[in-house]
Amino acid sequence: MTPELAKLSFETTGDVELARVAGEVDASNVEDLTRRLLEAVSNDTQALVLDLTQTSYIDSSGISLIFDAAARMKNRRQQLRLVVTPESFVSEVLAAVSMSDSVPIDPELEAALRAVD
Amino acid sequence: MTPEPTNQSEMETEPEHGEGAAARLEDVARLTEATLAYLDLDDLLAELLHRVTEILHADTAAVLLVEDDGRTLAARAAKGLEEEVERGFRLPIGRGFAGRVAARREPVVIPDLDNSTITVVNPLMREKNVRSLLGVPLIVEGTLIGVLHVGSLTQRDFSEADVQLLQLVADRVGLSIERSRLAVQGQIAQTLQRSLLPRRLPRLPGLSMAAWYIPAAEETAVGGDWYDVIELGHRRLGLTIGDVAGHGMAAATYMGMLRSAVRAYALDIASPAEVLSKVARFADAEHSRMATMIYATINLDTWAVDWARAGHPFPLLISPKHPPRFLTDVGGPPLGAGAGVDYEEQRVTLGPAETLLLYTDGLIERRGRTLSDGEAALTEAAVAAPDEPELMCRSVIQQLTEDISVPDDIAVLALRAVGLHDTLKAEVPANAEQLATVRHLIRRWVTANGGTDDDCSSFAIAVTEACANAVEHAYGPGDAAMDLTADVEDGVATVTIRDRGAWREPRGGNRGRGIPVMREFMDDVAIDTGEGGTTVRLSRRIGGEE
Repeated sequence: MTPELAKLSFETTGDVELARVAGEVDASNVEDLTRRLLEAVSNDTQALVLDLTQTSYIDSSGISLIFDAAARMKNRRQQLRLVVTPESFVSEVLAAVSMSDSVPIDPELEAALRAVD
Repeated sequence: MTPEPTNQSEMETEPEHGEGAAARLEDVARLTEATLAYLDLDDLLAELLHRVTEILHADTAAVLLVEDDGRTLAARAAKGLEEEVERGFRLPIGRGFAGRVAARREPVVIPDLDNSTITVVNPLMREKNVRSLLGVPLIVEGTLIGVLHVGSLTQRDFSEADVQLLQLVADRVGLSIERSRLAVQGQIAQTLQRSLLPRRLPRLPGLSMAAWYIPAAEETAVGGDWYDVIELGHRRLGLTIGDVAGHGMAAATYMGMLRSAVRAYALDIASPAEVLSKVARFADAEHSRMATMIYATINLDTWAVDWARAGHPFPLLISPKHPPRFLTDVGGPPLGAGAGVDYEEQRVTLGPAETLLLYTDGLIERRGRTLSDGEAALTEAAVAAPDEPELMCRSVIQQLTEDISVPDDIAVLALRAVGLHDTLKAEVPANAEQLATVRHLIRRWVTANGGTDDDCSSFAIAVTEACANAVEHAYGPGDAAMDLTADVEDGVATVTIRDRGAWREPRGGNRGRGIPVMREFMDDVAIDTGEGGTTVRLSRRIGGEE
């Protein structure tokens, strides 16, 4: 079969949840991704690191996902950090909506994990 | 009516033999007249009964047909005994007069019912006081299908010549009934067959598809051809074309089974060769007739077509770059050959403006012509045909069936990839599932027209945003579509997306980011909301170094 548009994988280290999105995020799969992402975040989760370095495409639907997740986690006093390769397409899209004003963005996974530690 | 009751001896020793023979010849001509064949069965029976009563000077005539149970006769047409049909008169074979004719399968004469050992069962004949009867069996190809009888209200002896004449009418009636039955079956087969073909083909951004089905000229020859399109999800489509050997109901029914088997396996199995191998095992287990088919999957993003073939005529690839070529590199026996083989598959990736043509053998096979001559004729027809799939199918069929009555079913299916140079026109279904395919299409178009990777990504997101907005806002659920047009002029690429729905302002909260995103990546964004829908025009200079 043609692979799904995006693959979502998780890695739990202590109370930090790492989620990787590989592929494309658009209006066709954003609802499914949002649901699975929020299911993975438990009350015990202290921080969610969303790794978008393998994300080849994102648009306003994906941006909505991030804003939704950020708002929800903020209410639960949980942290959200993004990992985005500088000067990538995704970073351009996020810059267009000034994402970094609302959600911290790290250029590498290690930096994000250090920041939530 | 009988002016003078004649007796048998008078009939057999007609004084002017020559005149009698001429008259008889005229009678025969009246009963076998070719134009009668144009009447429908009921009218034909009524007319024949009318004529036969006139010629034989009889008062009544009736046709009874054997029911499906094979044991009962039912009145089908009558003259002078019309109520017999209205009342739905039935009698078991073996009983009564008609029952006796049917049981004996030979002519029966009763000169005088009052002095006969046969009891008439039909109350109507008793009411009417039928005195004399002549009955002959209706036999078609050795099978008894009914009885034809004539009766007289006055006593008379039917002659051997009368028997022969009535038998002639019986043969005529028998054939007409049989032909009418076959025609009805043919119509049912055709209805069944048509009901199994897709009512419409999906709209795909960047690919266009058309299919034509022409039934055989003879209704009874209809049956076994089919094509099918299966939505597999994840921007893949399954495509089938096939041909079941034989005609009529049995072929149409088996076609329906194969179609379902392909659909069931296709949803679970990605590889066309594997699907075909499973279907072949299904076909072998059915011990049914032979069938040929092609099963293919299409990747809607890349236009890669993976296909496998079971004894079916070769697909034809029509390209603007080279002469049409048959794809002959995948083999495999027909279904039902009992070979139990594993089929192989091949990939052909459609280039821009290329068309894949699938068809059944009715298109190219003609009596007295070799297969390769048929293929050559198809190639020629394809070259002469217009590019647009619908027109191409029609034109190819027209060219190849000119001057002949179509001897066999014909199914033709054309799949065409859009041209990417200069203007691009595509119909985009208002369906979020298709957004990725639209992105692929627009990236390919930008690249083909000299755009950089950056240009590709920029148009990909802006076009997706514009389409997603229409998907979300312009339409309710259903099968709506937008028109996408792309053009380059003086290095500036412009993509226009026009929907036909009512524009709604993007809702608040996290929504409504689509327009700022479009503006970020485009040099110019124009949104024009009118009565008939919304047009979004996206422009950006491409291929530049800025």
